[in-house]
Amino acid sequence: MNVTRRQFLRTTGFGVAAVGALGGCAPALKGDFAPKTGKRVVVIGGGWGGATAAKYVRLGDPSIEVILLEPNKEFISCPFSNLVLSGIRTLDSMTFNYGRLRGHGVRIIHEAAGSIEPAAKRVRLGEGWLQYDKLIVSPGVEFQYEQVQGLREAGDRVLHAWKAGPQTVALANQLQSMQDGGVVVMSVPPVAYRCPPGPYERASQIAWYLKTKKPRSKLIVLDANPNVVSKTALFRKAWEAYPNLEFRGSNKVVKVDPGARTVTTELGDTVKYDVVNVIPPQRAGTIAVDADLVGADKRWCEVNHVTYESVKHKDIHVIGDSTIGLPVPKSGNVANAMGKISAAVVVAMLNGRPVPQMPPGNTCYSWVSDKEAIAVVNVYRIDNGKVVQIEQKLTPAQSPAVAANSLGWAQSIWNDVIG
Amino acid sequence: MTMLTLVFLLLLLAAPDAAAGPLDHPGYAKAFSCSACHGFAGNSRSATMPILAGMNTAYLKKALQDYASGMRPSPEMEPYSKMAIHLGVDDVAGYFAAQTKQPTPIAADAAAVARGRTASQVCVACHGPAGKGDPAKNVPDLTGQPAAYLAHQIQLFKADRRSPGDPALKQLKEVMKAVPDNQIADLAAYYSSLR
Ligand SMILES: Cc1cc2nc3c(=O)[nH]c(=O)nc-3n(C[C@H](O)[C@H](O)[C@H](O)COP(=O)(O)OP(=O)(O)OC[C@H]3O[C@@H](n4cnc5c(N)ncnc54)[C@H](O)[C@@H]3O)c2cc1C
Ligand code: HEC
Ligand code: HEC
Repeated sequence: MNVTRRQFLRTTGFGVAAVGALGGCAPALKGDFAPKTGKRVVVIGGGWGGATAAKYVRLGDPSIEVILLEPNKEFISCPFSNLVLSGIRTLDSMTFNYGRLRGHGVRIIHEAAGSIEPAAKRVRLGEGWLQYDKLIVSPGVEFQYEQVQGLREAGDRVLHAWKAGPQTVALANQLQSMQDGGVVVMSVPPVAYRCPPGPYERASQIAWYLKTKKPRSKLIVLDANPNVVSKTALFRKAWEAYPNLEFRGSNKVVKVDPGARTVTTELGDTVKYDVVNVIPPQRAGTIAVDADLVGADKRWCEVNHVTYESVKHKDIHVIGDSTIGLPVPKSGNVANAMGKISAAVVVAMLNGRPVPQMPPGNTCYSWVSDKEAIAVVNVYRIDNGKVVQIEQKLTPAQSPAVAANSLGWAQSIWNDVIG
Repeated sequence: MTMLTLVFLLLLLAAPDAAAGPLDHPGYAKAFSCSACHGFAGNSRSATMPILAGMNTAYLKKALQDYASGMRPSPEMEPYSKMAIHLGVDDVAGYFAAQTKQPTPIAADAAAVARGRTASQVCVACHGPAGKGDPAKNVPDLTGQPAAYLAHQIQLFKADRRSPGDPALKQLKEVMKAVPDNQIADLAAYYSSLR
């Protein structure tokens, strides 16, 4: 069933590619440390949106120099990371390097962008800066720790595991070492947050794991929203197999106390846990907030629906989870679509060609057991410069066939993003 | 120059159609969403998603119409076919037809291929001796498609779940009903292995 990482590497030619053959830049980050000669696009963030955009600018016009800023040396996929919690997959099977992107001629600097200067068209890094003609910003989400009392102070004692990585593995380990009969508590933040069905896929995976491996244990889901936010009926149906899962809607978690091992809800209920997973409320990545790309809510970035240019600053295009205002979910699939669209737009603009009208599409698969999955599909069109939904379609029921398709999706889209 | 750089440059030189650019086809802007599942330029490398690169335009358009009308049920493809039709089905079909098909990299089991070749006699009348199909009759090219995809489609035909009740596919489904379950994987492996 599993497409193992090794198989994936073999079938895509991953790994053999030009690791270190291009780039290999260790810049002294002072002054204009990489003077611009021709047209240049700088991309902030090498996740689902940014990696796609960087690659597709190069595919669209190889004469454009593309510099990608990303602090992480590896790309770890959030999609499928819930399956690490149930032990069905390893994190390694969804971890990729940036070698293939370099092969497309993307220059990668593994540093975080410090700030953006829209008027000077510069990105600050360390003590230096990079000049751009076009900037594509895809920094994902940042957590609003301050919304949950005690969360920031709790540090690693309370995990979010909402950016796939070490926290995912740590949470899986906590679940494994919990004794049978223990109580797992997870919290779902209010919308809008990254991946609407994600928390419910996670709840399904944890419930499946407990049912299979720790049958006397239970899972309590404290949801800030009144009901399951996405694929509601399908998740509810799946959960009929999990009497160990207790869902409490309109139960926003406002406080966590890792000493007493309790969380407190807005209603004043205190719930004791053995293992806790608090998914904090979210906003756009910090750099977008600091660069004044966010709206009055100080959370998300409004963009033009065709060009993804920020409504606040010219020549800065924001994509992925950081955006708001389009009728699309914050998903990897949408970030990938926005990456391709913004790349085509930026290439057209830099070449003085008309801007293409490209609506995004979305598919979110969710695994509800070790074998079965469900999906929601959304397609869109552009009407008078606005993205509108043509249709949303759900799988009629959970099935192994949908799970098999989700593996096909993962392999294809990982390759599209980072291959 | 390092060995890797050299290999990389040689690969670049070997890339077909370097002048045109991989995104320059006028249909690209309408077909770009499809790569999330069907792979770059429709060359799916996965087991379950069919390869669209090089697909006959009439068959591709018929497939999209069948998905959009709900005749060929697929929760993924019903919406995406509507999107493609909204954007311009001729451009989308033209884009995929213009791409060079790269057969699936997933190797088929040699013994299964041999058994499948023997079992394929009943298929030849329509799909041809080389499995390339018949564009005039909208019979698809099966060669190089991933075996798991082909096997799944054979099962759907057998259970009358692909385009159920479609009178045009009556003969095909009668042939499929006679295919024993334990031959499905063999037939799929055989056609997948053809080039
Ligand atoms: C558990 C889970 C399951 C999910 N499942 C699915 C699924 O099945 N399907 C699906 O479509 N989506 C899924 N998602 C959602 C998906 O992961 C996100 O929507 C997607 O990652 C958004 O892409 P992005 O580019 O906006 O952000 P990211 O992919 O998070 O990329 C942002 C990148 O920007 C970098 N960055 C941030 N600040 C800076 C800076 N100042 N300078 C340089 N770089 C910076 C970060 O290091 C990061 O690599 C899931 C998410 C989670 C958490
Ligand atoms: C979310 C994944 C997904 C996306 C995105 C997607 N497809 Fe598909 N496609 C599938 C699946 C799954 C099938 C097989 C469905 C079935 O069982 O009939 C399929 C089948 C097809 C087929 C039939 C192939 C054959 O050999 O009969 C065509 C044609 C097709 N897709 C075209 C497209 C086009 C064009 C787009 C973009 C507009 C697209 N698809 C986007 C998942 C997807
Ligand atoms: C009577 C003619 C006929 C015969 C005999 C026939 N096929 Fe087909 N086959 C077709 C047609 C026509 C289609 C396309 C159906 C459609 O439009 O949905 C098709 C489609 C298929 C597909 C789906 C391909 C895709 O890309 O989705 C597979 C797999 C297949 N056939 C395998 C076989 C096998 C194996 C046999 C022999 C056991 C066989 N066929 C015999 C006419 C035939």
